[in-house]
Amino acid sequence: MSRIGEIIETMSTGFVAESFELNRPPALGSLVVVRLPDEAGARATEVDLYAVVTYGRTAGIDPSRRAVRRSTDEVFDQAIYRQNPELERTLRTEFCAALVGFASGGQMYQHLPSQLPPLHFSVHHPTAQEVQRFTNRLQYLRLLAPPYAAPAAASGAGQVPPLQVVAANVRWVYKARGRDEEWLKAAAREIATLLKSDHEALLTVLYAIEPVHATDAVEES
Amino acid sequence: MFKSLGLVVDGTFNSGLIVRLNPGVSLEQLRIGNFVVVDGQHNRYFSLISDMQLKATDPRMLSDPPRQASPFVAHTLAGTSTYATVEVKPMLMLEKVDETDADALLAEGTGPQPVRTIPMHFAELREATELDFATVFGQEGGSNFAMGMPLAMDLPICLNLDRFVERSNGIFGQSGTGKSFLARLVISGVIKTRVAVNLIFDMHDEYSFDKQTEDGHFVKGFKQLFGSQVLVYTLDEQMARRPGRNADVTLKIGLNQIEEADIVLLSEQLNLRPTAEATIGLLHDVYHDRWLLKLLEMTQEELDEFCRASGAHPASMASLQRNLKRLPRQDYVLPEASFSTLDDMVEALDRGKHVILQFGRHNSVLDYVLVSNLVTRRVRHRYEEKMRRYEETQKVGQEPRPLMITIEEAHKFLNPAVAGQTTFGTIAREMRKYNVTLLVIDQRPSGIDDEVMSQLGTRVAGKITEERDIEAVLTGVSNRSALRGALASLDTRQQILIMGHAVPMPIVMRTRTYDQEFYRAMGARPNTAASAEADISDLFGD
Repeated sequence: MSRIGEIIETMSTGFVAESFELNRPPALGSLVVVRLPDEAGARATEVDLYAVVTYGRTAGIDPSRRAVRRSTDEVFDQAIYRQNPELERTLRTEFCAALVGFASGGQMYQHLPSQLPPLHFSVHHPTAQEVQRFTNRLQYLRLLAPPYAAPAAASGAGQVPPLQVVAANVRWVYKARGRDEEWLKAAAREIATLLKSDHEALLTVLYAIEPVHATDAVEES
Repeated sequence: MFKSLGLVVDGTFNSGLIVRLNPGVSLEQLRIGNFVVVDGQHNRYFSLISDMQLKATDPRMLSDPPRQASPFVAHTLAGTSTYATVEVKPMLMLEKVDETDADALLAEGTGPQPVRTIPMHFAELREATELDFATVFGQEGGSNFAMGMPLAMDLPICLNLDRFVERSNGIFGQSGTGKSFLARLVISGVIKTRVAVNLIFDMHDEYSFDKQTEDGHFVKGFKQLFGSQVLVYTLDEQMARRPGRNADVTLKIGLNQIEEADIVLLSEQLNLRPTAEATIGLLHDVYHDRWLLKLLEMTQEELDEFCRASGAHPASMASLQRNLKRLPRQDYVLPEASFSTLDDMVEALDRGKHVILQFGRHNSVLDYVLVSNLVTRRVRHRYEEKMRRYEETQKVGQEPRPLMITIEEAHKFLNPAVAGQTTFGTIAREMRKYNVTLLVIDQRPSGIDDEVMSQLGTRVAGKITEERDIEAVLTGVSNRSALRGALASLDTRQQILIMGHAVPMPIVMRTRTYDQEFYRAMGARPNTAASAEADISDLFGD
């Protein structure tokens, strides 16, 4: 099942989607896709919109009510959910994604699409080939890296620092491409070019994408 | 395929182009003075790397460099955030033609032109290819003589010897940089291509026969390489008698041949006072050519007599006589000698023979300066006559052969104090008026008169670090700043910078090795020495 969520808020720069799985939004920095078939809107051909996950959170459905403690000495962690099946209904996990490009007519474009993704459409995991094809070019990083990144698409609470989003995306793509060292080096250089006037920011990203970290760290896919 | 090095990002016509190196190209792969090519839209620019610079996109990085960066971080930063630029000085340009047609490229009538413009932004800098070298420096053969190879490639770089002998030239370098080896190379070329005849003043006896080099093996001399084309004259009778390496002619100098100018040149060696010149003048007025003979024969009474008659100062007369008594003590000095030996030598030169004058045991500065200047004066005098005759008759066969005179320790003849008076100074200044040019070899070019230096056509320089010497070598050369760094950064052995008349643009190269292969290229035959002797006895009788 490649559907992972449904768009519940949409903007030209990105969207907010509700994850189908509680507490399991797509990985930070991962690439997701919104598929628009022919008949959607006024488009003449099928368009796939690509976005990078920039933020995720789980909270109660009612924004005015904060979640309360439910664990006891015997019941904690995963057992809480088994004991309280209603939590699946009263909590929800949402994630934000920034649009980084689209595919149309067999071509990959790495700039913002002219139309925003329609509300309530599904968000999918891309196929391995799609990831490969889309990330063969690195211009999309410009849409993520400060100071060029669009203001965070999230409605409501805080956001992930854009540098960390870039780093997360590079780490994710590196793994998705089967630990492609050449790609990683190229991406690192692209980032170095983007952040050339801010040395500390650059080092922040570079330290975060170093392959040694990638192998040591426990990362969810 | 060539390797791209970077893109032009800045520059001015006067000071050169700034090229940002590509990531992955390390400065350490490049060298000051490298021959590189900038591909403009319409022209190719043959250029030299004149400077290098390290840069960072964010100056803050320089105050806090990543100290323990992993290879990954270091590799990413190199060439992106931290990068290098090189300054490139275009020397020649060539209009682009169809690059796929190599023949058309080489056959092109116009050839590389002096630079009149510079390329626009983002023109590509690349390593020079074999074709580029061939386009600029021509191919071996004819009067093109391969002097060496580019630093990173195995193909010949040629010196145009026809152009080389048109002017006086210089070979410079600190001691130990192989100046006499370079001279041997150039002179071999001149002998091989027959563009000129040579007269070599061989102060240290290194050109005629085998000579052990500093690294211990023996190299052949010209006599062995070129056999009977080379005549060896010597001042030292003992040299003339050594089996297997005997000289052809023993040269004697007569006191009657020594002139005022010779003595003035030796002021330092003979401890002469500043008044000596005037005193000699007075002597010359009375006794003409025989003045030195007369002076040395004078008794005390005769000296006093002469002083009264001419107004010379008695003390300076006496000291002059005392000091000049050193001259007849030299073995090779006779009271009187005719010029016939020297005139024969000039005739031999005119027949196409090359002459090496060995000094043997008489290799003090006094001997060297005295004899070289005297011989050269006579040679030049004869050449002047020949040239006049040729100008009158304008018969093709009568034009004297171009003559190249090789002198070592050139600053002794060409320093600012004496350059105006020595024959060498005259030759260097008047250039090839009488078909006579100099090959000046020196380790202290700063000691040579500026006027002489600026007249030198081609300069071949080994490593030089002394600032004044670098300045001196570059006297009268355009783009000096570009070459200064190249000169100082040459390796001590086997690397030279050639600039001037005989090469289209200055170039750093590895010199050719002087070994068996070279001997073969020069056409040396086995048993050369034996056949040489046969030739000589044919020519001169016994």
